[in-house]
Amino acid sequence: MDATERIQAASNFLLQSPPGEINDVLNDIRTIIADDELLQDGIKAALKEYNIEQFTVVDVPEANHQSIISEAARVEAEGLDEERFLDPRSKISFLFDHLSLEASDPKPIEPDARHEEFRSALELASLNYLKAHFKDGVTAIFSPKEGAEHFVVQVVANKYNPTNFWSGRWRSEYTIDLNKKQVAGKVLVNVHYYEQGNVQLATKHTVSFDLPVAVASAPTSAASTKIFALLEEEEGKLQVSFNETYHEMGEKTFKGLRRALPLTRQKLDWDKVMGYKLGAELSGTKSPQPASVS
Amino acid sequence: MAEVIDSMLDLMRRLPPTRTEENVQALVNICPDEADELLQSVDQPLQVMVDRATGREYLACDYNRDGESYRSPWSNEYDPPLDDGAVPSSKMRKIEIQANEAFDTYREMYYEGGVSSAYLWDPEDPSGGSNFAGVVVIKKTMTPATPLEPSGSWDSIHVFETVERGRQAHYKLTSTIMLQLLTRKSSDNDKPNSTSEKKGPDGLKRDGEVSLSGSMTRQSEQDWPLQDSSSHISNIGRMIEEMEIKMRNLLQEVYFGKTRDVVYDLRSIDDLEKARRQKELQKELVGFIRR
Repeated sequence: MDATERIQAASNFLLQSPPGEINDVLNDIRTIIADDELLQDGIKAALKEYNIEQFTVVDVPEANHQSIISEAARVEAEGLDEERFLDPRSKISFLFDHLSLEASDPKPIEPDARHEEFRSALELASLNYLKAHFKDGVTAIFSPKEGAEHFVVQVVANKYNPTNFWSGRWRSEYTIDLNKKQVAGKVLVNVHYYEQGNVQLATKHTVSFDLPVAVASAPTSAASTKIFALLEEEEGKLQVSFNETYHEMGEKTFKGLRRALPLTRQKLDWDKVMGYKLGAELSGTKSPQPASVS
Repeated sequence: MAEVIDSMLDLMRRLPPTRTEENVQALVNICPDEADELLQSVDQPLQVMVDRATGREYLACDYNRDGESYRSPWSNEYDPPLDDGAVPSSKMRKIEIQANEAFDTYREMYYEGGVSSAYLWDPEDPSGGSNFAGVVVIKKTMTPATPLEPSGSWDSIHVFETVERGRQAHYKLTSTIMLQLLTRKSSDNDKPNSTSEKKGPDGLKRDGEVSLSGSMTRQSEQDWPLQDSSSHISNIGRMIEEMEIKMRNLLQEVYFGKTRDVVYDLRSIDDLEKARRQKELQKELVGFIRR
């Protein structure tokens, strides 16, 4: 395998990292590839892609809250050769190290005056929503970017418990388009349980609905509260539906794959199982299909 | 290099179980020298093959592989054919035939479908007497008729070693079960139950997918009495049956219990803020009464 292919393979592994385990995955890759110099530059793109995709949480410099690294947070500015990310809450842009996950060089940024009022109203509603339903949630609300008309709402919650071999991540992202009067979004949940095994839950849920007319016509704080009431209801329903899906999987799929006990409700009598075969063999009535007990 | 293989195994314990085959292949390409050890240590989903001689299905895995060919437990033939493929001694083959028939019955009783195979191999050291080893593999797949029906697969791999001690035998069993469950949902398929449920916002559309996948491994060692060579099969059969019952409970607990608990740790359905306020109110009341 040449260097390019090895980098590609390493990047592919990194992007599959379960919540909170990218450093463990990276450590394994270092031993396997055994070429730190090659990796150092080679995996930069993958680390960045991972952080953006997974809504990596960052401590915002000079603020005592966290924000989210994502495509929406990427600052697009002309003549900028460095990549900066935005924390819309403190209105600060910063440089981000995709390996150490540290932010640096904070600079104030002027918010878009046309959108800031509604954006901060959404932010307030989102923070209240977090308080009500997430123990360790982080949110970020972005105004429409140049040439776009939709606000972006993001929520991420992580729980890492390596001592007990599990980790989990909840990601939600919604776009709120006041022109099209529509909300569209997705919720992604990942759980990894790895005590003497490797079990993963991966869910993907997409949703879209029309904004109520009153909300769309008057983007106010009342409107943002209403939007979050709808999102709260939708995510609550989704969480309840997991229970139903689990129940269905347990009752139909799991039981259908393997019974807890045979139809006889007893374990097999192995002496009989063996004896039957032996008897059939001795009497010369060996059938090509073994006895199927139904 | 022991360290590289350790890192490979750690990596495989972290990456998504749904992509095991692809990731193992990538590791083999990166470190061809470690390929044999990796393939022996990482369990991969079993492949269903059809015996050309008998038409019966059997399972392909690393244990019945010789080069690119797989040996059928029914006809003892390799596919693609091999002139000098490794086969068990005639004594061992006799026990293997019995084992395949016994576990086929076991499979039918518990799985009501699927495919099973048993492969035995002679002791590496000829002076090892009748101490042999083997594997019992079982696979069942549920294929949905439509994309919105749940699907799933179960792969059991039971590797065992036997050591005869007079009229007793000592067995060491290592069992891995790989289980995948997938359910898709779409609002296009929602039955209109107009009155009972509160109507959501206009134009509501939902699509969802829930995938639970993974593998768990457990070991067990036991001594059982020996009457004749077929006692081995019933002894191993009892151990495998007990192990599968134990592991099925464990899988149920982890798949449907633990992963759900983590989701509820991430997000609470109940309003945490309300609960907090309730608590504070209670504290205040307690303080008030004490005064």
